[in-house]
Amino acid sequence: MNHARHLSLALAAIAAVLVAVACHDAASPQGPITAGILPPGPKHDKGGNQCANFRLTGGGRVDQRDHLGYEKNTPESHDFATFGFQARPSSSCPPTDGSGNIEWNEHNPDEFGGGFAFHGRVTYFTTPTDETFDDSRCGRFGGSGRLNTRNDGTFEDVIFEVNHACDVDEPGVGNDHIKITIGDVYTRHGILSGGNIQQHRLTGNN
Amino acid sequence: MTTKILLALTLLAGAVQAQTVTGKAFGTYVNAAGVTSQSPVATLPSSGGMATGQADAFGVAGAVDASWLNAVTTGAVDDKKSGAQSTSELEQVSAAGGAITADVVTAVATAYFGQFTGGSDATGTGFTNLVVNGVPVTEDVAPNTWVDLPGVGYAILNEQISTGNGLTSWGMTVNMIHVVLQDALLGLTTGEIIIGSASSSVAR
Repeated sequence: MNHARHLSLALAAIAAVLVAVACHDAASPQGPITAGILPPGPKHDKGGNQCANFRLTGGGRVDQRDHLGYEKNTPESHDFATFGFQARPSSSCPPTDGSGNIEWNEHNPDEFGGGFAFHGRVTYFTTPTDETFDDSRCGRFGGSGRLNTRNDGTFEDVIFEVNHACDVDEPGVGNDHIKITIGDVYTRHGILSGGNIQQHRLTGNN
Repeated sequence: MTTKILLALTLLAGAVQAQTVTGKAFGTYVNAAGVTSQSPVATLPSSGGMATGQADAFGVAGAVDASWLNAVTTGAVDDKKSGAQSTSELEQVSAAGGAITADVVTAVATAYFGQFTGGSDATGTGFTNLVVNGVPVTEDVAPNTWVDLPGVGYAILNEQISTGNGLTSWGMTVNMIHVVLQDALLGLTTGEIIIGSASSSVAR
């Protein structure tokens, strides 16, 4: 009995460390940029994550940061992003392979590259590990894609992760929220100021 | 008894098949002087999914110039919850010979239904540094704002068209700039320009 209890405690401790590492990775500050080469993005440790039995679609706009409201920023600031995505797990699980696509357009000229358009392809889909951990309305997915900046050219095979995309309620404006990290140079996290995110059952291929 | 079960199954199948989502978005459409031109269109498959239509730049002399055109539509069909959301964005926009300019034009159209309710909206649409007839527009543009364009015709800014019956279907079309070209002498419509268009609808 004691052996079993010790084993459980050890596994719990390991799980806590894995979650902490994953959360730390997701919250890593932006690093320096070497000309023409993007530093690696957050590590996508699939360990500890769970298979997701749902799919997500979404699209719209994010202005405010870190859940500080959902009003549009002033037009002069250009501080907003628009997006559209579809993501789903693969038919078998584990592993947490996934599929789908995401378009993310950042308009803030103070962001990486003076703003950019990112086209990503989803390769994994799982449950979140950040502050939305254990929230069944949220999904986490990522992969790699092309980052086309306004001022600094195009970067290929850039790793990204949607740390969480959450279908909180209808309508999506003022309720749903999303956090994305692209490479080690960009992150945006906020409540939708336009659009919607929906969680759906797994059916068919869409 | 068997007949009732078959009838129920038939009705259920019909209800499931009736659920649809549509989505469409594009940057620009021009119909002027007998010539039609349009930037890439994103059209959502009827079963849901995702589609994009993009171009680095698009121009029709005297009608429209724009760059960084991005149109995206996504959606999904589900028996409990369905939705479609479409966005269209353009930058460095100039329309109708410069009568209307904007740094950024953003159109967002959303339609959805859940177990108990449905709806559609255009929340998130907007202009950045909009200028009409040489006058900067600093306030948010109200839906369906009419402006005269001397020598050109008129324009409807932030044109919003609701669709659906509000009970089993919901939809929204947003055209951020809709210029109607008119003959200067007779006032007859001779063409149109649409910039920043997004449409979404759902039905159950």
